[in-house]
Amino acid sequence: MKAMNRRKLITVSAVLAAVSLAVTAVPAQAAEVGVSSSEIKLGMTLPMTGTASLGYNKIPGAAKAYFDYLNANGGINGRKVTLVVKDDRYVPTEAVAKTNELILKDKVMALLAPLGTANNKAVAASVNPARRGIPVLFVNTGFSGFADTKKYPTTYTVLPSYIMEAKIMGQYIKDNFAGKKIGLLYQDDDFGIDALAGFKTAGVNFAVKVPYASGSQSAAAAAGWITKFKAAEADVVILFGVSSATSAMLGVAAQLKYAPQWMLGSVGGDATTIKLTGVPAGVLYNAIGFSPVPATTDMKDEYVKLFSDIYAKAVPGSPFDLNVLLGMNTAFMTAQALKAAGPNPTRKSLMAAIDSKGATFANSALVPAAYSQTNHVGLTGYWVGKYSPTGDLAPVGGTYVTYTTDSGAGAVVKSTYVRPAMPAKGLPN
Amino acid sequence: MKKVRILSLLSVTALVTTVLVSVPVAANAAPACDGKSPIQSCVGATSDGAPYAMQVPANFNGTVALYSHGYRYNVDIPAAIPLIGGYKVTNTPEPVPGGNADVAKYLFSQGIAIVGSGFARQGWNPDSAIKTNVELIDTFKKQFPKTTKVIAWGSSLGGVITQGLAEKYPNLVSAVAPMCMADNVEPELIMAGDFLWGIKVLFDPTIKAGNYSAGAAGVAESYADLGKVFTVMGKLQGGISSGAWPDTSSATGKSLAAAGVPVRSALLLLGLMSGLPTQSAHFDSISGPDGALKLSFPLAVSPALAILENGTNAAALAILATQDVEMQAGGAIFDNTKTDYAARVDAERVIFNAALSGNTVIDAMLGALSAANPGAPRAVANPAAVAKMRALHTNTGKINVPTVLMVGVADPITPAGASQRLVDLYAAQYAAEKAAAFKAYQTTRDYKSPTNKLLMLWNRTPSSYTTFASTGAPITTTPAAQGTNHCNFTSAQLVLVAKSLVQASSTGKLPSGGALNTAVRKAGNLSVDKGFSAPLLKYYGDN
Repeated sequence: MKAMNRRKLITVSAVLAAVSLAVTAVPAQAAEVGVSSSEIKLGMTLPMTGTASLGYNKIPGAAKAYFDYLNANGGINGRKVTLVVKDDRYVPTEAVAKTNELILKDKVMALLAPLGTANNKAVAASVNPARRGIPVLFVNTGFSGFADTKKYPTTYTVLPSYIMEAKIMGQYIKDNFAGKKIGLLYQDDDFGIDALAGFKTAGVNFAVKVPYASGSQSAAAAAGWITKFKAAEADVVILFGVSSATSAMLGVAAQLKYAPQWMLGSVGGDATTIKLTGVPAGVLYNAIGFSPVPATTDMKDEYVKLFSDIYAKAVPGSPFDLNVLLGMNTAFMTAQALKAAGPNPTRKSLMAAIDSKGATFANSALVPAAYSQTNHVGLTGYWVGKYSPTGDLAPVGGTYVTYTTDSGAGAVVKSTYVRPAMPAKGLPN
Repeated sequence: MKKVRILSLLSVTALVTTVLVSVPVAANAAPACDGKSPIQSCVGATSDGAPYAMQVPANFNGTVALYSHGYRYNVDIPAAIPLIGGYKVTNTPEPVPGGNADVAKYLFSQGIAIVGSGFARQGWNPDSAIKTNVELIDTFKKQFPKTTKVIAWGSSLGGVITQGLAEKYPNLVSAVAPMCMADNVEPELIMAGDFLWGIKVLFDPTIKAGNYSAGAAGVAESYADLGKVFTVMGKLQGGISSGAWPDTSSATGKSLAAAGVPVRSALLLLGLMSGLPTQSAHFDSISGPDGALKLSFPLAVSPALAILENGTNAAALAILATQDVEMQAGGAIFDNTKTDYAARVDAERVIFNAALSGNTVIDAMLGALSAANPGAPRAVANPAAVAKMRALHTNTGKINVPTVLMVGVADPITPAGASQRLVDLYAAQYAAEKAAAFKAYQTTRDYKSPTNKLLMLWNRTPSSYTTFASTGAPITTTPAAQGTNHCNFTSAQLVLVAKSLVQASSTGKLPSGGALNTAVRKAGNLSVDKGFSAPLLKYYGDN
């Protein structure tokens, strides 16, 4: 048993106070896992290979491009931000193993933008970042459950939830396709459960709903899906799946000359990714799509212009697409969170910074973020667009009209949010 | 996919601990010692007839290590039973884990004696085994009056016995190590019962799966169940690659098959709702062979193969332990009339969604297994028997003396959650001790910080370990991966536990800090990661 008398306690307190003062006075002291005097180390798991990697494997390169740009401009209080990336192939058990490596071997300060609902749930259950006090920043999933701060107290979402997206889609359907037969393709897991919940709240009645099990998407499967949509005489078909499912569906539809009014969810709606699989751009023409950030071809947008310039230099020849824009936007928000976390950021101060200031972090999104002391929800809405003959998503009518809502029973409303100007050079203030 | 050979899936030696010393039994007599040097060997039997063995080095320093062996079947297994046939009941003592010579050598080098009982009764025996150990300690001390300290350790059910000894008789032991510790009888047999029930209602309704008759008839029924379950496992093994459901499947199973539910998804669901690990000796649920199955194998197939491998290992114990405890309790002990299997897999259904073939299939399977389906009749226990089972020795989890826990994170027989429970309970105990110490400080102004009394050693699985032949078939003839199988520890890991006990018994403190980290690293495949948390047995989520 250790014994400590009062005098010793007082002495220890005095020493601690002195150390505390010293730490405050001298910046760039290492006091947190993953933070040294010269570096802040972050870790990311996502599918870099395998069928599910389509498009999403550009996210790390995009984030690194921004961090390199940031580092070349002084980093965060003199520290460079580095990103360790692990390929989980979209296999939840592999995400667990790779996240363990990031935490125990690479000793990252925080996890950044891990992708996939199942993967994030597996990591939460088996690696338990919350128990370890490790921030899980800006997860790459719109599953609404990750906003539950009791279950996932260190997790922050950034993408609008799938429920929000489905509600906004539902509103669009009501406004534009009343009386039409609606079909839905959805992933048969929590991703799909969120979608179904959102459509139900929006009052959408489907003529046919076609679930697919994650990993089962293929051209052969798509042919079967089309048979069902045709049998139900669907006028409008919503593709609420991952990129590989959307691409499989559109590719086979092109071959079979099946052409309903397509409506693409944002997760699988990146035109560049779809076209890379050989889907003719013309199939996308007039399809309806949704995005929280500006069109990737909108070079009048200051973020799109800056980010595309940075990316072009960092990854020459790689098309600037929605995954790239979202990846860079996430990196930019992370930089602001790290900056706001103080001269010597800790895991706690990083999360406190998002709680207190996250809603005001500059970023490219055209919809507001909802972060607060009690809310870890990021962006809260979408604008609606149509794909051009070349397959690029552009706002309907040429002007961004954004809609915002929540993951509950709240109404879908036109957003009055006005995005603040980008900080100078796209660097955190 | 090439079929996995089922014979290689079962590691019977993991279930039945290695026996060591043949002993003439003369109950309650003084030990018979050979007087040899440098190691003196003594044998004898306690008053209950349990044979014991003692080995005392010439440089005996006053510390003795008391080892408690794990579960041994309490009935002979006829040779005709596949995989485990030919087993004979034995009560031969086992003074070190599995007769491990490296461990004995280390202890002798430190001047430490070893002792172990074979116990008077096999099967589920903590009540009698704890009494036997208490008497054995007294016998040893009388024979070797120089004795000053007793360290106790045990594996599997021996872990339960060891923890029980420390809870009931903390003054008798200086430090203890329950290794790959089983949970208490009810949670442990509910896990086994859930899996058996699932196998029965989907794949072979003629399996009895508990509620065995009394006496020899019940034993015969359990033998029949062993044969049927192993046969079904063999068919499932083929079905995972071919998609075919066993021809013995129930009407419920056949209706699921007709609806297109893959048999691999059904098997996986049974494993998940029982709480079996989804990593096994040869299947990591991560790796895939080069080629077309690179991604789909770990995503859709490997978890089911892991359940097959783990379930096959667990099935024999599940049947025989159920039969054993039913005989002790006087009737059926497994009752799932109120079990909500859908709630049980609420988290896992997302994580293993692809392997379970999506929510539509999962809901179909859970509907088929629900209490509302008369085609999947629930098991009903005998309330009096349940009460008797609950009256068997039950550990509270109280940590009284320095304690070392070690378990494989994917142990299929005694899941890591049994150790996690003690970790969680001790966290609360330690917090209370700290609060009490602070409260005392407010009046005495003399703060005495409570000493940590628990060291948790997780035997982790490698990041990936499934290997494949050039044909793409998984290889199942290699040794089980670390962290998997039952009590699958290396000599170096066991010696680390022994060293920790020796240190704790002499200093009152468990290893910690840099010295501990270095020792753990040298032992290999162990972790003291306090952030790791193993899932508790499903019983605790139900209650």
